[in-house]
Amino acid sequence: MTVYVLPIIISAAGALLSVVPVLYFEETVSVAASSLSLLASIWILFMPGFNGTFLFIDGLSKLMLVMISAVYLTAVVFSITYLKYIENPLFRKKIYFLLLNLFAFTMLLSVSVNNLGWIWVGIEATTVTSALLVAVENDETALEASWRYIIVVSIGLVISLLSVVLIYGASKNLLLSSLFLSHNPDNLRLLTLGVLMGIIGYGTKAGIFPMHTWLPDVHGKAPAPISAVFSAVLLPVALYAVERLMQIAPFLIIKNFTLILGILTVVTASILIGVQKRYKRMFAYSSMENMGMVLIGLSLGGYGFAGAVVLMISHAFAKSGVFFLSGNLLSRYKTTLTSGINDVVKQMPVTGYGLLFGSMSVTGLPPFGSFFGELMVIYALIKNYGIIIAGVVAVFLILAFISLNYHVGRMLFSESGNPALKKMEQGRTAIIMPVINIILSFGVVFFIPQIISILQR
Amino acid sequence: MQGIFSLTGFFLIVLLFFMQWEVYVKNIIITFSVSSFILSGFLLYLGIVNEEHILLALSALTAAVRGFFIPYIMLYSLRKDTWRARESEPLMGTATSILISVLIVIFAYILYRSTLYGFIKVPEGSLPIALMLQGSFLMISRRNTFIQMVGYMVMENAIILFSGYIFPGLPFVIEAGVILDLIGIVMIFALLMRIRENTISSGTPDSYENIEELKG
Repeated sequence: MTVYVLPIIISAAGALLSVVPVLYFEETVSVAASSLSLLASIWILFMPGFNGTFLFIDGLSKLMLVMISAVYLTAVVFSITYLKYIENPLFRKKIYFLLLNLFAFTMLLSVSVNNLGWIWVGIEATTVTSALLVAVENDETALEASWRYIIVVSIGLVISLLSVVLIYGASKNLLLSSLFLSHNPDNLRLLTLGVLMGIIGYGTKAGIFPMHTWLPDVHGKAPAPISAVFSAVLLPVALYAVERLMQIAPFLIIKNFTLILGILTVVTASILIGVQKRYKRMFAYSSMENMGMVLIGLSLGGYGFAGAVVLMISHAFAKSGVFFLSGNLLSRYKTTLTSGINDVVKQMPVTGYGLLFGSMSVTGLPPFGSFFGELMVIYALIKNYGIIIAGVVAVFLILAFISLNYHVGRMLFSESGNPALKKMEQGRTAIIMPVINIILSFGVVFFIPQIISILQR
Repeated sequence: MQGIFSLTGFFLIVLLFFMQWEVYVKNIIITFSVSSFILSGFLLYLGIVNEEHILLALSALTAAVRGFFIPYIMLYSLRKDTWRARESEPLMGTATSILISVLIVIFAYILYRSTLYGFIKVPEGSLPIALMLQGSFLMISRRNTFIQMVGYMVMENAIILFSGYIFPGLPFVIEAGVILDLIGIVMIFALLMRIRENTISSGTPDSYENIEELKG
């Protein structure tokens, strides 16, 4: 068991040590903690699964651990540079890294525990640890976004808590490993009701329609590294809980309900991407669209499930890269308006081309991993529900692709009309981290067989 | 036991009615504290009758955290934010909000009877459902952030009442986790309120219609 708790313990230790009053200690210790956490997660990937009283580590948990740790590391490194550009931060750097490490800790805990109640506690704790991080920029809008986040997500999580109570009522048990194996046939309806409520509750945290209202506010206003963590790993962690619920009660009504929510999410997000005036909100809706596709995949199982996981991993790397780059844009152009950004490829070439490839990746263009993930989900959709529903989803995916890449293309290639503008590229760290993440989102393609194999083990 | 549960649920609903028509935030927080102590008393009774130590511990925790600590933190924050002492522009009038509250209780009964009752078979089980819906109504019908927070906590109290009576035996560690999370949320809430007060220099602080960046 010792190995399996390492990522959790390391991130918790990183959080505690961040407050040691030594100059730059919080940065050093956070980089060390996130690196060690990633190494431990990779180590766990090659270990057999684990089923104990406290922990439940299967293929999905292993992949989630690696994904969270990888984004955690890049976010920590990127934050070191990015924090310098925040003029009036809400709190000191030590508190920022304390909260960031705690945020990672709660996510790592949520995907490792063998108890539905503890998953709830972990995901609720992500709200506590991340709410202040949203408000780092310390202005009225950031505070309002943070407040909306707390209220909307907490209400969703109250519904999930009720779901935990109902599932307990139906099964007299909250251990995942036991719940997967047997159900009391007398209480199947109560179990179904509990699981449906849980899907709504955790769906709120995952930004699933119609409970998504907090998502664009928070992603749009949080500092770039925090938006990256939210989009890349927090939303998937909430969907992880949804997947566990679906594994507990793999009934047709639940699959259909989840599928409908997924399709509505894709449709809504794809339409809203096109009308956005601010690029960070636009990327937020793109995350919502991807989470919708992941939810569709989870509801389908089989190829759909594998596709959902591939999409989730590829999206995590690509979207974190895109949000890092959007932070570079904001720190230089000082605006979140899409219309205020011009000529990026000339003035910030690495950021510009990074954003171009990142946008292609998050909208599912080949050869990025997200394309293959979406393809697998669409294939499973055709196989289970026929060509018409799959066609509708594909049309909205194309709409999202055109809308997002049109806006990004306009920002990157439209002339500023000011030839005197000098190069504005950020420092090395600020451009290396997003580029690495976008390359990783492409690299996922080469590991699809391994991902499927890990999930099947 | 059934009678005590019904009485507790009835008192909690009446207190919530009072919160619904009250405009002074301090009174609402104190009423929430009273309702938490009533809930704690019920859990204590349940623990003694059923000889469940877990319920006794939960009762103590509910009294300490929900009855005392959280209201104390909120009242402390309120003392500094004097302009928050009264909800100046509620979204709806007193009569309307009470009428809706009554309708919510009826709706909760119908909802419970047509859904959960089929599995749970506890006739008075609609009381926590009514409390939950009332809590959410308190949140959406008020602009004041303190009252919204109280609405959220009322929803959680309803779940504690529900699980304590209908499904006793929910692992204590989960209940404790819920309470710890609640403490965290309230602390962050108080901190955010503090900062908001410093950030917002003029105008009506609880009105955010003009935040352009959050549109779309």
